[in-house]
Amino acid sequence: MSRRVPLWLALPAVAGLLLFLVYPTGYLIALAITHSSLAHPLRSFSGADNFSSALASAAFVPSLWRSTVFAVLATVATTTLGLALAVLLRARGTKFGVVGALLLLPLVTAPVLIGVAWKLLLAPVGGGFAQTFSAIGLGGFNPLGSGVGAFLVILLIHVWQWTPFAVLISFAALGVVRPELLESARIDGAGAWRTFSTVVWPAIAPTQWAVAVLELVIGYKVFDLIVVITAGGPGFATTLSPYAIYQTGLRGSFDMGTAAAQTLIFAAVVGAVATIVTGARARALKAEGS
Amino acid sequence: MTTSPFSRRRALQLIGLAGGAAVLGPVLAACGSSDGARALAGNAPVSGRFDGVTLKLLVNQPHVTSFRDVLAPAWKTASGGDLDVTAAPYDQLTSKQILDVQSGTGEFDVFDYFYFGLGDLVDAGALTDLTAWIDTNKDKIDVAGYLPSIYDPYTLLGGKRYGLPYDGDVHILFYNAELLDRYKVEPPKTWDEYDAVSAKITTDARGSAYGAIVSGQQVPMILGCSFINRLTGYGGELVDANGKPALTSDAAIAAANHLVAVAPSALPTPLQIGFDQANQAFLSGQGALLDTWTDMALRAEDPTASKIAGRWGAVSLPVGGTNTTPRTALDAGFGLGISTAAKNPDAAAAFVVWATAAAQNLSVSSTAGAGIDPIRGAVLGADGYAKVVTKAIGPIREGLGGHPLVWPKEAGAPKLLQDLVDQLALAIAGSQTVEQSLGNAQSSWEKSLT
Repeated sequence: MSRRVPLWLALPAVAGLLLFLVYPTGYLIALAITHSSLAHPLRSFSGADNFSSALASAAFVPSLWRSTVFAVLATVATTTLGLALAVLLRARGTKFGVVGALLLLPLVTAPVLIGVAWKLLLAPVGGGFAQTFSAIGLGGFNPLGSGVGAFLVILLIHVWQWTPFAVLISFAALGVVRPELLESARIDGAGAWRTFSTVVWPAIAPTQWAVAVLELVIGYKVFDLIVVITAGGPGFATTLSPYAIYQTGLRGSFDMGTAAAQTLIFAAVVGAVATIVTGARARALKAEGS
Repeated sequence: MTTSPFSRRRALQLIGLAGGAAVLGPVLAACGSSDGARALAGNAPVSGRFDGVTLKLLVNQPHVTSFRDVLAPAWKTASGGDLDVTAAPYDQLTSKQILDVQSGTGEFDVFDYFYFGLGDLVDAGALTDLTAWIDTNKDKIDVAGYLPSIYDPYTLLGGKRYGLPYDGDVHILFYNAELLDRYKVEPPKTWDEYDAVSAKITTDARGSAYGAIVSGQQVPMILGCSFINRLTGYGGELVDANGKPALTSDAAIAAANHLVAVAPSALPTPLQIGFDQANQAFLSGQGALLDTWTDMALRAEDPTASKIAGRWGAVSLPVGGTNTTPRTALDAGFGLGISTAAKNPDAAAAFVVWATAAAQNLSVSSTAGAGIDPIRGAVLGADGYAKVVTKAIGPIREGLGGHPLVWPKEAGAPKLLQDLVDQLALAIAGSQTVEQSLGNAQSSWEKSLT
């Protein structure tokens, strides 16, 4: 027997979807296909002009590739380090403890504060690390002074900030590994690596893949660190897509139409990469299960 | 059975989405924004009592002291009114002013605006047209007293006036006299001499000081100033007499080459040096040469903020190439305008007149940390002003009293300037040549200006 549910009961959910998903998305699409500035949004229909303009931007197109490299490197680093630290913490016992809490500090600190702190530390003259660099024979060393250096510094700080997130989730996931399986592996003479790869990993793999997807998305969204530390420079070396879009929409040109088109293109790229990763996850989990 | 990720249902969904967007765009465009142009009546007041009226001001961050600490108490005494001052970082000032009006918030009465953002602000309908009011009250406002070099550039657009000048910004070259004496070099008169001084001090000081501080933060107000200072020195222009961009001229290439060439001997690293970092380095004695705004004279002489008080000097910006006549530029520069969303337009009008009068301009121009320079001839020539800026008075009078280069200010000018500094930053970072950078900037400017 089936019970009919009144359609009006779905109204709150539908209203929520309309308000928080359909309207913003519709407005974004409308901006992308109209001549829209900060001063005059939705001025007139522009067809694909904004997309042409977005793809002609010297800053935006390279930023898509740069953002992808950044997000992938950050995902690999945070997920791997996070799992390693979680395993070490779990080896101490089932409690997260003071060390675990301290590890979470970068995660709960405001990103702007993190940026300011690192900027002060890395200032080539009078910065917190300047004396240290001098002491080890690297006087005047300025990692933010070169394109590659600045990119790596932002990546390093991002990994430092977001690894605790992976630690937290991985630590919880390790708690589901049944102790009797670990004990059996030990009795059977399995070493640490074999125990991890054949007992622990299959149990936590779904969680780890989920962490990887989340870290990937977080890696694509980096903005505040760039604003505070490098402002996208030197040149465009640290201009990742969110910052390039911000520059288009709110700095200099105030071109909201092109910024909206860039946002849609960026969303497509993030979606494509996320689809590849989730596809890899599905295949990997299927292989684990077979 | 395997299923394709692009099923018929998914394809229909995508077609529906695209079709919906195509319909949505024009529909929303029809509901789009309209201009909010507003003009102040000619009979609006230029003075009066405004007891109990609080004017809300959105101002450039470095100007906060001038409004909050100097003008607010005096305005209270003069009119009975209060000032509520909100600061915006210099790189967000214009966008915040546009957003205040366009969003319908309308929180502010008075805008302290960049003159090169004037076109965008007017295009956004954010500034009130003051033409009739100024014309009617020319004598009471003492329009003739504003410096001719800045009055029109700061306030006039398309034949209409949208504000009154507030901060007459030009750059001159400051030097640390102690460092120059120690390393036995003279203040440079040419950009070549500047290079030589910078290289010698940086080499000889072995990290304890740097010969030059080059402000290269990738925003028009910083890197734009540094480039344009050199451009005027080499005798160049941003646009020629016909309004065509002149960014690939010999002078422009020489100016950009200078920025690239001086980087190795400058305080590390020019692209990271903004307004605060440059000031701090100069005032703490870490750098010998700095081309910056003239109010540095007050900061440098203030012993509470400066380690080089009494041990600095200033000269006009160097020259280069075939040019032998120093010339500065209107680097940034601000006017006071009335928001079209102002809730107290009469009080705002009276305040704008009062704040830009000679007495107030002298007061803020003579206050260390206020960040304001003369906008009136009476102040530029006043002994009281000369006394506080001491050794800098000569180059300041030469700069503001001359014919400084004016930046573009039409709608879209901030984008053009941002395009220029983006390209310059690529050259300084070594990602492309100076010629490529200026060629790209020229193309961008030609698309917009011609």
